[in-house]
Amino acid sequence: MMSTWRRALMPLAVVIVLVAACGRSDDGDGEAGETATTQAAAVEEGPATGTISVWAMGTEGDNLGVLGDAFKADNPDATVEATAVPWDAAHDRISTALAGQETPDSSLIGTTWMGEFASTGGLDPTPENIDPSAFFEGAWNTGVVDGVSYGIPWYVETRLLYYRTDLAEQAGFDAPPANWEELKQLAQGMAEQGGAEHAISLQPGGTGAWQTFMPFVWQAGGDILDESGNFTLDSEATTAALDYYRSYFDEGLSPESLEVGALEQGFADGTIGMFISGPWMMGIVTDAGAEEGTWDVALLPEGEASRTSFVGGGDMAVFTDAANRETAWKFVEFVSRPETQLLWYETVSDLPSVEAAWDDPALADDERLARFGEQLQDAKSPPAIATWEQIADVIDTQLEQAILGGVTSADAVAAMQQEATTIGTGQ
Amino acid sequence: MTQRAAVATEGATAARLPDGAGRQRRGAKQNLIGWSFALPFLVLFAVFVAGPILASLGMSFTDMRIADIRNPFAVDIVGFENYAALFQDERFLRAAANTAYFVVVAMPLTMAAGLAIALGLNQAIVKFRTVFRVGFYLPVVASVVAISVVWRLILNEETGLINGILGVFGIDGPGWLTTPELAMPSIIAMTVWRNLGYQMVIFLAGLQAIPLMLYEAADIDGANRWAKFRYVTLPLLRPTLLFSAVITLIGYLQFFEEPFVMTEGGPLDATLSVSMYVINQFGFGNYGYAASISYVLFLAIAVLTFIVFRFLRPQD
Repeated sequence: MMSTWRRALMPLAVVIVLVAACGRSDDGDGEAGETATTQAAAVEEGPATGTISVWAMGTEGDNLGVLGDAFKADNPDATVEATAVPWDAAHDRISTALAGQETPDSSLIGTTWMGEFASTGGLDPTPENIDPSAFFEGAWNTGVVDGVSYGIPWYVETRLLYYRTDLAEQAGFDAPPANWEELKQLAQGMAEQGGAEHAISLQPGGTGAWQTFMPFVWQAGGDILDESGNFTLDSEATTAALDYYRSYFDEGLSPESLEVGALEQGFADGTIGMFISGPWMMGIVTDAGAEEGTWDVALLPEGEASRTSFVGGGDMAVFTDAANRETAWKFVEFVSRPETQLLWYETVSDLPSVEAAWDDPALADDERLARFGEQLQDAKSPPAIATWEQIADVIDTQLEQAILGGVTSADAVAAMQQEATTIGTGQ
Repeated sequence: MTQRAAVATEGATAARLPDGAGRQRRGAKQNLIGWSFALPFLVLFAVFVAGPILASLGMSFTDMRIADIRNPFAVDIVGFENYAALFQDERFLRAAANTAYFVVVAMPLTMAAGLAIALGLNQAIVKFRTVFRVGFYLPVVASVVAISVVWRLILNEETGLINGILGVFGIDGPGWLTTPELAMPSIIAMTVWRNLGYQMVIFLAGLQAIPLMLYEAADIDGANRWAKFRYVTLPLLRPTLLFSAVITLIGYLQFFEEPFVMTEGGPLDATLSVSMYVINQFGFGNYGYAASISYVLFLAIAVLTFIVFRFLRPQD
């Protein structure tokens, strides 16, 4: 009998030991203080030495060697070991590396992941010798979590209004729409006089729809969080933005669903008059057959408050568990130099996050690109909070509920606020 | 070889001892040897199977999030809070209802279709039997993801095959995957089509195990086709039905790839399944919460499987 009991109690004992080891420690909170952005002490000057491992995803991962070679030319004793990680696997691999405390020295990190990874304590605060004012403000803020900077924006992208100039002319517009009212008039004109099947393609919901929708909220003067970190998704501005956004669907100016590939094809054929997207679409619509002179890009139209767009891209961070922290930060600093940013633009066409790089003729002389540069002056990112991906999903879902599910704007916005408050900011 | 020889000698020595102590010692020794043989498996099982399962069970009682991954033990024990929150979570309830809808409709349909085809191939169709078998089984072998991608094209509102055929007859077909009411039925139709080949093979094996003389006896008794099916085929197919019901139930309760590829759970969460919701929550870094959903799903599978076993167990 005894032995049976003992055997039965063994797992229980194990559990008790584990439970006793649990419990959150109290330190670690409230370090941020009052200042706008806190940075760590500067990294020592002088050439970098030793080997660092750097992860990057997609095209950036495939071509990182170019930056590694340039870095080595400046610092003969340093070597950059580049590892390409597929975007699909990147989030899991970085999480696993953080959990096992076996991270590379530095990595490309998606801008919307910063809050999440910084909250693990696995990212090293940016040292003082990197100057925040060199970067676009919206882009710099993607790396600022709870008042502390945990990395630099490596490259950026922002969203502009793509529109068919020929359809706009038929609608009586020889300039891009300056404000919300004009955008609506242009859309109506494109549908009536221009004969566009869909005047403007806006995302009705689904993954990533917030990237199209949130700029409208910002333009109306709303935001996701207030200064004390409370959600403000149920503000009048959000309701107004949603009312405006959904009116395009209610009036039949926007398609409720669009197949993959239908957007660029429709735009090239002139059946879709406008859409809002990032710089990569310039090549895609050209490949789809859109002729030069029939289309252009424009700054987003102004709402009540501003003409703010969304800024995304990739950040570069150094890990707390980095084996060679000094050299890793020196490499990050090297990447943020205007000349390196231009080299990177020439290599993979990533737009520079450093304002000074945009003065170069390669960017300044390209009218369309220059407009992206102009929009970057007024572009925002979502707050870098640990729960952002989940909040984004709430916005996507409620947006869909409003546009396809017939929920009123006020109810959808109230649901966003309520669900976001339940989820919290992860602090 | 040498070890086995050692066991044999040991056994022989112990057998000569007259008292119970010897028998006990022999038992203990044999036990030890037995365990040492099982040890490699036990260690692997403990480390790679039992360990993670216990860890995830433990995790479901904590508030573990992605922020805790560097210090997994520095989390708070929250007891059944995750489980309680789950039943207040409207999206989870929606996912559970969707999963129930999927299982209740797709499971009988798949089994009935599989059985019907097996009966046809077993009795009526003699020519080209192999061709039909291969044809029906082929979708089972193909990757779910590839099939889902192809079906997404077939069901496309503008350019899909189905709406193209309907268009010939002047019917303006709906958006099969973009209309909330039609998305789940469309996915069910695809799933039934995909899985009936597997059911067919199982049922065919079961049918061929039924002795022909039983049918001959039924013929002599004057039984018609239906009576033979109802009173000979079905009762003797009971073990096969049980197996196929359990396999289908377990598979369908965890359905994931089809909505993941075809609809991402939309439109308006109409095809969000419990497994998909677990993945989403893991993706958001809510590890404790996601683990608790997995265990609710596990419990549901266990209970429902038990009920099916009770319902279809062999009768004497």
